[in-house]
Amino acid sequence: MSIDDFASMNRRRMLRRAGAGFGMVALQHLLLRTGMAGSVRREGGGTPHFAPRAKAIIWLFMNGGQSQVDTWDYKPELQRRDGQALPDFDPKTGFFPGAVGPLMKSPFDWAQHGQSGTWVSSLFPHLSKQVDRMAFIHSLHTESNNHSPALFMMNTGTTRMGHPSVGSWITYGLGSVSDDLPAFIVMSDPKDRGLPKGHASNWTAGFLPGVFQGTWLKPKGEPMENLRRPGGLGDGRQRAQLDLLEHLNRLHMAQSPVEDQLAARIDSFELAYRMQSAAPEAFDLSREPESVRRLYGLDQAHCAPMAAQCLMARRLVERGTRFVQIYSGGMDNQLSWDGHEDIVGNHGGFALETDQPFAALLVDLAQRGLLEDTLVVCGGEFGRLPIAQKSTKPGRDHNPHALTVWMAGGGVRGGTHYGETDEIGYRAMMNKVSIRDFHATLLYALGIDHERLTYRFQGLDQRLTGVESAHPVRELFT
Amino acid sequence: MRFLAGLFRGAQRGEATGGVGSRLARRHRDSFIANARTGETWRLLIGCLLLSCSVWGAVPADHAARMESGLALFRSEIGSVLRDHCLECHGGKRVRGDLDLTTREGLLRGGSSGSVVVPFSASESRLLRLVGHEVEPFMPERRDPLPDAVRQSLARWIEWGAPYDAPLIEGKPPHQDRSVVTPEARQWWAFQPLTRVEPPDAADHPIDAFLRAAGREQGLDLNPPADRSTLLRRATLDLTGLPPRSDTVESFLRPGGADYAAQIDQLLDSPAYGERWARHWLDVARFAESSGFEHDYDRPHAFHYRDFVIRALNQDMPFNQFARWQLAGDEYAPEDVQAMMATGFLGAGVFPTQITANEVERTRYDAMDDMLATVGSAFLGLTVGCARCHDHKFDPIPERDYYRMLSTFTTTVRSLVDLELDPVAAKEQRLAHERQRAVLHQHLVDLETGPLTAKFDQWLAARPELPLNDWTLLEITNAESKAGAAFRRLEDGSYLVSGANGDRDAYVFTARTPLRGITAIKIDALTHPSAPQNGPGRAANGNFALGRIRVTAAPATGGSAVEMRLNQPRATHQQNEGSLSVASSLDDDARSGWAVDSGGIGKDQAAAFAFDQPVDLEGGAEFVVTLEFTVNTGHNLVRPRLSVSTIANPELGLEVVPPGIAALGQRLSRLNSDERRQVFEWWKAREPEWVAANARLIDHEGKRPTGKVPVMVCAEGFPPIVMHSQGPPFLEQTHRLKRGDPNQKLEVAEQGFLQVLSRGEDGERWKWAPPPGSKHSGRRRTLANWLTDVESGAGSLMARVTVNRLWQHHFGRGLVATPNDFGRTGVPPTNPGLLEWLAGELVRQDWRLKPMHRLIMSSAAYRQASGADPKKLAADPDNQLFLRFTPRRLESEALRDSMLAVAGLLDRTMFGPGTLDEASTRRSVYFTVKRSRLMTSMVVFDTPEPLTSQALRPVTTVAPQALWLMNNSQVRAWAEAFAQRLISTSNTADPAVWVRNAYLEALARLPVPAESEAAVAFIKAGYAKPGNVDASVARTIALTDFCQTLFALNEFAYVH
Repeated sequence: MSIDDFASMNRRRMLRRAGAGFGMVALQHLLLRTGMAGSVRREGGGTPHFAPRAKAIIWLFMNGGQSQVDTWDYKPELQRRDGQALPDFDPKTGFFPGAVGPLMKSPFDWAQHGQSGTWVSSLFPHLSKQVDRMAFIHSLHTESNNHSPALFMMNTGTTRMGHPSVGSWITYGLGSVSDDLPAFIVMSDPKDRGLPKGHASNWTAGFLPGVFQGTWLKPKGEPMENLRRPGGLGDGRQRAQLDLLEHLNRLHMAQSPVEDQLAARIDSFELAYRMQSAAPEAFDLSREPESVRRLYGLDQAHCAPMAAQCLMARRLVERGTRFVQIYSGGMDNQLSWDGHEDIVGNHGGFALETDQPFAALLVDLAQRGLLEDTLVVCGGEFGRLPIAQKSTKPGRDHNPHALTVWMAGGGVRGGTHYGETDEIGYRAMMNKVSIRDFHATLLYALGIDHERLTYRFQGLDQRLTGVESAHPVRELFT
Repeated sequence: MRFLAGLFRGAQRGEATGGVGSRLARRHRDSFIANARTGETWRLLIGCLLLSCSVWGAVPADHAARMESGLALFRSEIGSVLRDHCLECHGGKRVRGDLDLTTREGLLRGGSSGSVVVPFSASESRLLRLVGHEVEPFMPERRDPLPDAVRQSLARWIEWGAPYDAPLIEGKPPHQDRSVVTPEARQWWAFQPLTRVEPPDAADHPIDAFLRAAGREQGLDLNPPADRSTLLRRATLDLTGLPPRSDTVESFLRPGGADYAAQIDQLLDSPAYGERWARHWLDVARFAESSGFEHDYDRPHAFHYRDFVIRALNQDMPFNQFARWQLAGDEYAPEDVQAMMATGFLGAGVFPTQITANEVERTRYDAMDDMLATVGSAFLGLTVGCARCHDHKFDPIPERDYYRMLSTFTTTVRSLVDLELDPVAAKEQRLAHERQRAVLHQHLVDLETGPLTAKFDQWLAARPELPLNDWTLLEITNAESKAGAAFRRLEDGSYLVSGANGDRDAYVFTARTPLRGITAIKIDALTHPSAPQNGPGRAANGNFALGRIRVTAAPATGGSAVEMRLNQPRATHQQNEGSLSVASSLDDDARSGWAVDSGGIGKDQAAAFAFDQPVDLEGGAEFVVTLEFTVNTGHNLVRPRLSVSTIANPELGLEVVPPGIAALGQRLSRLNSDERRQVFEWWKAREPEWVAANARLIDHEGKRPTGKVPVMVCAEGFPPIVMHSQGPPFLEQTHRLKRGDPNQKLEVAEQGFLQVLSRGEDGERWKWAPPPGSKHSGRRRTLANWLTDVESGAGSLMARVTVNRLWQHHFGRGLVATPNDFGRTGVPPTNPGLLEWLAGELVRQDWRLKPMHRLIMSSAAYRQASGADPKKLAADPDNQLFLRFTPRRLESEALRDSMLAVAGLLDRTMFGPGTLDEASTRRSVYFTVKRSRLMTSMVVFDTPEPLTSQALRPVTTVAPQALWLMNNSQVRAWAEAFAQRLISTSNTADPAVWVRNAYLEALARLPVPAESEAAVAFIKAGYAKPGNVDASVARTIALTDFCQTLFALNEFAYVH
C-alpha cells in the first residue's frame, strides 16, 4: 500500500487496521499523510507479506543464559577432554577473567529421545518426550558477553538501549486479533525474583509509538492496572457516567466539525468498559479443568509458578494475544540461569521449575489445535562456556559464541537440528545463525519479510534486523 | 599485506605525500588510459593504485601486458561469472557488506570486512578463499562453492590485474569520495546562510502576511478569530500548561475586560511558563535521571539540569547562550552554578552500569555518540549519528566529519561537583546552624551542672552497688576490618564501625587483660543511630549475622596462641533456634550464625560463650577475637564491645563497668574531685536524659551545612562517576573507526565540524584555547562557538530549527513537519519565506524567545478559530497552510496538571528533587524520570521513552487511557476534591450553580442549556439512588461522578 492509498482510505478505518489491539482505537500522527518522519510505513499495512506459518509467538526466555552443553547440545568430545586446558582461550571471553578453569564435561546424564534420536540431558524428563515437536538451532551466536547488552541484542537486535523489541515490531506490523486484550504481554520471573537486567527496556517500543510496548503482568497482586473500578463506584454509576460522557461529547462535537480523533476517543471509553471484564477473564486460571491444571503442574510446588504463567500464555494466545514472552529467572546471578557457581544446582533447580510446564504447554497447545498456529521459542541471551568457572562447586561463565534455541509449533519441522558448534560446544561453526537471522526467522514464521517491516525514524527506514544482512532459517519450517 | 585496504584512502594519501603520487600517476597513466572508459575517476583511481604500489612495490614490470590478457578474460568469462554469482547482492539489487562489484574501483576498495582482491596477487586475494568456502562468510551465500575451473579463471584474472572493460551495470554512477562535500550538496536549503526576507505585505502582521500570501494562491484565507474564551484557554494552556483560573476567565470575558496582549505578557511572566516549555526541551534533550541498562542506577543529582532549563526559560535567556552553556557552561562561566548545571545536557543519556573488558571501548564510543547525536538533533535538526558507520546516506555528512566532531567529547565525562547554589542563603544556613549548636551545647551543660549533678549526689549518697560487675571490659589494642571498615572507640568501651560495609566482613580485635581464671567472653551488639533502623547490624534492615566467632589466647608476656574452644552459647535474643541462633555461630557452617531480627532490631543485644577451660595465664592473657560475618551480604555489627568474666556463671547483661570505675566502687563515698569527675563522666552516660540531649547535639553537629549540594555535570577535569567497569572511564584519543567498530581504528580524529555548515573558515575562528594550567580542553566551547555562529558556522540552521520548535508547540506542527530532521529525509518547510523571516527575527531579537512568543501569539493566524469549510478541507486537508487552528490533545503532563489545578490540589513548589510517587500533587515536570520506572500516568498518554532526542510525541487514542480516567484511584480522588471545592465555594446546594462553576473551572466557558440540563439531571439522579448514606454525602458522590466525567471529556483533553 502506498502513502497515497493511505491518504485516500477512510482514515478511521485505516487507523483501526493499524491497531495494536488492546483497545488501540487510533494512532493519529500529525504526519500520517506526508508519510515522513515518524509515520507508519508498513508495506502490507497490518497484513502479512506472505502466507504465515504462525499467528502468535510464545517466547520462553531462559534469563541469565542457559548452558547449551548441559541441555541440548551433546558433546562427547567434551566428556572425553574433561579436565584438560582449552588452548589459546581468551580469558576475556566470559565475565570473570580470573576464574578460568579447564574444560568441564556436562555433569548430567545424556540419552537419545524420540524418533529423531535427539540427545537431551537428564535435566528435562518431560521435554525430552516432546523432542519430535521441537526444532533446534545449535549455531546461534551473539555480540556481547554481558547480560544487558546481550538481552537487548536478543530482544531488540542491538546491544544498545532503546530500539524496539521483537514483540513491539510484530504488534506494530500485524496488530492484534483481539481488541480486548494486550497484543504483546510480558511475564517476568514467576517466582518474583526480579526483572531481567535492563528491566522494561527488554520489551520497549523504542522509537515506535508507546502503544506497541509490551504489557508487563505483575507476578503478584493485580496483574494489570486500572482494570477495577475505584472503591465506591458501582457498575451502574459508571455506566451512567459513560452515557453522560458520550452525550456531552456529542453535544460539543455538534458545534465543531467532526474530527476523527474525537470520535475515536468516544469509542475508546466503550472499549475500555468491555475490557474490564474481558481481561480478568483471560487471567483467571480457576476456569481451567483440574486435568489441565495437573498437566502443567499447578498442583506441585516446585513448578506451580511457571505452570501458572504457561497456562496463562495459552489462554492469552487462544484469545488473540499476538506475542507472549515469559522469563524464567530474575536479576541476580544465582537467581537466574546464570550459573557461575554450581552448574548442577543452578540448572538443576531451574530445569525442575520449567520442564513440566513447558512440556505441558506444547501438549496442551497441540491438543487444542493451537500449536500449528503458535510458535513456541525457548532460549537465553547467550550460552555458557565449556570450561569450568572455578569455584568450590564449579559453574560456567558467559559464552557469546554459541547458544542453542529450540522452537516448536508454527510450522516448525519437529526433530530438526540446524547448525553445529565445534566439537566441545564452544563456538558456532556450521551454518552459523546470527541474532539478526534469528529475528528474521521469527518474522518469517509470521509471514513478514524482515526487510519490508520498516519505520521511519531519525531519517532512516529502521528495521528490526538493522542494516546488515540477515536471512531467515527457512530450513526449520515445513 | 593489506594492499588495498588503503586504496580507498589513496586520494588522501596522495595529498599527504605531495607530488610523488601525482608524478607516478602521470608517468604511468598513458599506458592504462586506452582501457579506461570512465574518465577522470578512472584515471584518478589508477593514479592512486600506482601510488599505493609505489608504497608496497607489488606492481609487476609486465603489468601492461598482463592487464591486456586480463581484459580479454574479463570479457569472455569473468564478467558473466561476477554478474551471475555476485552482482545481485554486491552492487545490483543491494550492496551487502559495503562491497560493490559493479566497477573495478569498487572491487579494489573492498567491503566492510576489508579487501577482497589484491591485483596481480591471487594468493593474497581473499575473494578466492571466500568463493571456495575456505573462509567465512562463505560465498555465494547459502550456495555451493564456485567450481574449481571458475576459481582458476578468477585467480588468473587477478594475477593479470583484475581489469574491467566497463562497469557491470550501465550508467551506474562511479563511486565518489564522499569525505569531501561537493558544492552541489551544499545547495540544500537548510545549509544556506540566513537571508533577509521581507513580509509580502508590510501593512499586515508579518506572520499573517506570509500565510495569507500562500493561501491566496489557493483562493483561501485565514479563519475568523476564535471566541475570547477559546482564545484565553488556548493561550493559557499553550504558555503554562494549565487552564485559566475561573476568575481570570470571568474578568477576561467581561465587556471591556483585560487586554489580550496584557494577558499574554502576564502568562509569559508566570513561572509556569518555564515549567511548561522546559518539558518540550527535556524531550529533545532525552532527559532522564537514571542510567538505564542493567541496574538503571539513579542519578540523584541530575535534576539540577531540569531546574536550569526551567530557570533559563523563565529568565528569557538568549537561546544562543542556552545552547553554549549546555555544551560548555563550565568553559564559559565556571563560576556560575547555572552554567555548570546546564552541562547536565550532555550527560543525560543512557550509560551501562556493568561493562566487561571487551565492551569498554565500544561503550565509550556509544556514550560520545549519544552526546553528538543529541547535539545534532536538538540544535541542528540533523541526524549526525547516521554517519557513525558510513558517510551519511542522504545528507552531506561524511564519516570523517562525524569523527572529527565526536572528538570534541573525548575527555568529557559525568561528574558530581559540589556547588553553592545560593551563596547568601548558604551563609545564613551556616550561621543558623552555629546558633542552634550553641543552644544545644548550652542545654547539655545546663543539664550536667544542674539536675544531673543533683541526681548524682543523691545516687552517691545512697551508697550504690555498681551494677553487674560480672563482666570486665577487654582493653583493645588493635581493631581491624577485612573489608576496610573504620573503628572508633567510644566512651563506653564499644567500637563504632563506619565506612565500608563489606559484603562478608570480619572484625579482628586484639586485647589484653591482666585477669586470670577467665571463664567466659561476651560480645555486646550495641545499637547506634548511624546504622539502618539504629542497628545493631549494618544491613539495610538493621540486622547482623555472626557466622563464626573465633578466640585465641596467648600469654600476655609472650608465647604461642591457642585457639580456645567455646560452649554454652547464650544471647539476649536470637532470630530463630536454627540457622540464625547463637549456637550456630559456633558451628562450621559459614552460612549460619547469630542474628537478631524478629524482635531484636533497634535494641542492644549481647551473646556470651563460656570457655571449655578457664584461661588462666600467669601475667594475664592476650586474646585475638575474630568475628566473621559470613552469613549474608553486609550483615556486620555497627558497635561491638567485648568483655570477659572470671566467675562461674556470669549473668548475661549489657552493663559493663570499666576497670577504672570498678576500682573506685569500694569507696564511692570518699572520692576526691578528680575521681568524682571520672565517676560522673561514666555515670551520666547511663542517664536517658543526658543520652538524649547529647544525641541531639551530635546529630546536629553531623549535619553542618556546607552550603553546597552535589550537582551532576558533564564536563572535564572533575573525577568521573565510575560504574562497574573493567576499563577506564574514557579513552585518551578518539579515532575514526571503520564501520563504527572500535576494533578497526583508523587515524586519530582531530576536532573539526560539519564541512557543510562551515563557510570559508578553517576553524581558527571558533577555536577557544583554555587558559594555561586549565583542566579544560577547550573543545566543547569551540564546538559551541561554531554552533552559534550565524555568519560562518551553524547558527543559521540553529535559528531555523529553534523557531520551528516554537511554531510547532503553538500550532501543533512545525513549518518543517520534521523538527529533528532538516536534512533530505525531512519534510521541506511549508512556508519557507515565513520560516526564514522568523529565524532572522529570532537573531534580531538577540535570540530571546519571549518576544517570539508575543509575535506569534499576536498574529491573526494564532488567534483564528478551528473548523473549516468543505472547500478549505479539500484544498488543504492537513492544514499545511495554517489557515485554521487544528485542535490537539494535551500532553500527559498538561492533562494531569490541569486536573490537579481544577481540583484545587496543585502544589506549585518549584525546583528540587523529583518524586516517583503518583500521588504527588506537584507539576508533572517534577516527576523523577527513572528509565525503568516511567510514571504510568505519563506513559499512558504518550510521553516518550527518554532514550534519544524526541521532537514529536505520537498521539494515540487507546483504551488504557480511558481505563485510567475511569478507574484510577488518583483520578477519582482529584474528582472528589474538585467536587468538594465546588460545594464549598458556591454557598448553595443548587446543582445548576455547581455545573456552571465546574464548566468555568474546567473548560473556561459557561455550559450551553442542553449541557447544563443533562448534567443537572445526572447529578440529581445520583442523589435519588437508594443507599445508606445521608443526603450531603450522596450529593458529594453524585457531584464527584460528574466531575470525573468532566475530566474525561474530549473538550477537557484538547486545546481548541
